[in-house]
Amino acid sequence: MSVVESPTTRRTGGSTPHRAPGRASRSRRSRQSAATPWLLSIPTLILLAGLLGYPLVRMIVLSFQNMRLRELISGRTPPWVGFDNYTKVLTDSVFWTVVGRTVAFTVVCVVISVLVGLGIALLMRRVAYGVRMFMIVAMMFVWALPQLVAAQIFRWITDSDFGVLNYVLDKVPGLNYQNHSWFVNPWQGWAVITTLVVWAGIPFLAITLNAGLTQVPKELVEAATVDGATPWQVLRNITLPILKPLITIVTTLSVIWDFGLFTQNWALRDGHPEPVYQTLATYSYTQAFGQSRYSLGSAISVITVLLMLGVMAFYIRQMFKIGEVD
Amino acid sequence: MVAVAPATPARRRRKRTDEGVVTIGRSRIGTILANTVGVIFSLLMIFPVYWVLNTAFKPADEVLALEPTFWPNHPTFANFTSAFKAPLFMQDMLNGLIVTLLAVAGALVVGFLAALAIARFSFYGRKAIILVVLAVQLVPFLALLIPLFLMLQTVSLTNSLIGVSITYLVLILPYTVWTLRGFISGIPRELDEAALIDGCTRAQVFWRIILPLTGPGLVATSVYGFIQAWNEFIIINTLNSPAKQNLMAWLLQNQTTRGTAWGPLMAGAIITSIPVVIFFLIIQRNIATGLTAGAVKG
Repeated sequence: MSVVESPTTRRTGGSTPHRAPGRASRSRRSRQSAATPWLLSIPTLILLAGLLGYPLVRMIVLSFQNMRLRELISGRTPPWVGFDNYTKVLTDSVFWTVVGRTVAFTVVCVVISVLVGLGIALLMRRVAYGVRMFMIVAMMFVWALPQLVAAQIFRWITDSDFGVLNYVLDKVPGLNYQNHSWFVNPWQGWAVITTLVVWAGIPFLAITLNAGLTQVPKELVEAATVDGATPWQVLRNITLPILKPLITIVTTLSVIWDFGLFTQNWALRDGHPEPVYQTLATYSYTQAFGQSRYSLGSAISVITVLLMLGVMAFYIRQMFKIGEVD
Repeated sequence: MVAVAPATPARRRRKRTDEGVVTIGRSRIGTILANTVGVIFSLLMIFPVYWVLNTAFKPADEVLALEPTFWPNHPTFANFTSAFKAPLFMQDMLNGLIVTLLAVAGALVVGFLAALAIARFSFYGRKAIILVVLAVQLVPFLALLIPLFLMLQTVSLTNSLIGVSITYLVLILPYTVWTLRGFISGIPRELDEAALIDGCTRAQVFWRIILPLTGPGLVATSVYGFIQAWNEFIIINTLNSPAKQNLMAWLLQNQTTRGTAWGPLMAGAIITSIPVVIFFLIIQRNIATGLTAGAVKG
């Protein structure tokens, strides 16, 4: 609790010196105002350092040790093993399959969601007011749903015995989907997971991109249309270039989110994803908490973060570039 | 785990008329086609949401009918009552509320100070702090779960609501700082200066000008923080035993034990989602501008 309370005391402590304005000498005053922002930032920095920075370091240290259940219970320092965990992980073909699967899933998912999102955003500009409102309301409800709840809904819809999906597909002449299990064939299972992720991701993409589209100057589009540009040319040469920074950012965010896929495959597979349904996140988690191989799990996490580092750096650079960070 | 930070105050609601929409060179058939696609898309999007409601209000025999009906023939609240009566449901709801409120309150107090520093002072190291705040939002929190678990274990804060509260606080803190920064920057500096000239102290400027004017921002930020913390289940599920988890983790536990009772589960899912959905719809315009605000200059 002290963590939560300390900032309150710090605030009053930090601002008291200012109670005597004018009396303080010029130099003292400037020193105070130089310290004030740091005093204000200290609680945040301490918390971030303690619960994000330190675990990050600990994770790296852990990946060079061999922490098993025995060490966890006895509290002894686990033995140092150098790069053993990394060698074990990097020479394991299972790991590389998981990496490949996660990357492939991310690419497929991001491409589909961004394209559909952009398409829907453009469509929203074309439809009547009532239809647009309907689209927004529908998307808002989907967006608001917690990930886990959304996953549970999909689990129910694709249920082999009583799921409505099998029922509807079975009605189509020539198809037999009675008691069809969607997760026996990994391609079908991943199709369900992809649909879930895309479905849940479209609202953010479409609504954000639509907001961006409203900023495209009307005069430009009109002038081009009057000059005889086809809608396709308008899209390619006017709309998309203006929208490009926004598209870059939402794509980067989608990559970061989809690469860290955990909730959806975890919940759809009842908390025990089979090997074919493992992604990097679930794989590391299963190694650590399922098999008590905390060090091996840490090594996988370190590799995951390293893999993502480029994308994250790109995102932050982009944020600085567009001047959102001033 | 990455928070979407509304950086600018809500954009004005669009007018009813289609200003800004170019209408020349559009065919009638194209418009009809577009409207049709729009309606079909919306129906497809909303179907899963509708299906949960449909299931939750059905009696047990209708839920497990081989021919599912698209409307509950005998609507009932039985699933909701059995969800409420289910073991640990009320307990986990209370836990979730405690943990979430503690985290949001803590993050708001701590984060506001840092946001004030970034938004109102120019000092050496400011950019570094911004960089840290932005970067940590992208760190997959899940990756840190292993060391976090070991850390909390050594100070005996696993299987405790306090441990989870602190973790959630840190989880929503970067986002809180970033968003509040946006709201504070939105207050004209001239107001501060005028007050200072009129004899206010820095502290008075804070209490009488910045704090009241950031009010709506504080609401939006805390609501989004609430959503984040309320929806989390992996951390609490890993750190705590079932009696000390939240509703999300309850939903997950509920599915693994014996065959799934779909009716009560869907009812539980609705109860769990209601606060979040309502909150989300209230602040949606702030979220829609998202981490992306400023990417297209108006």
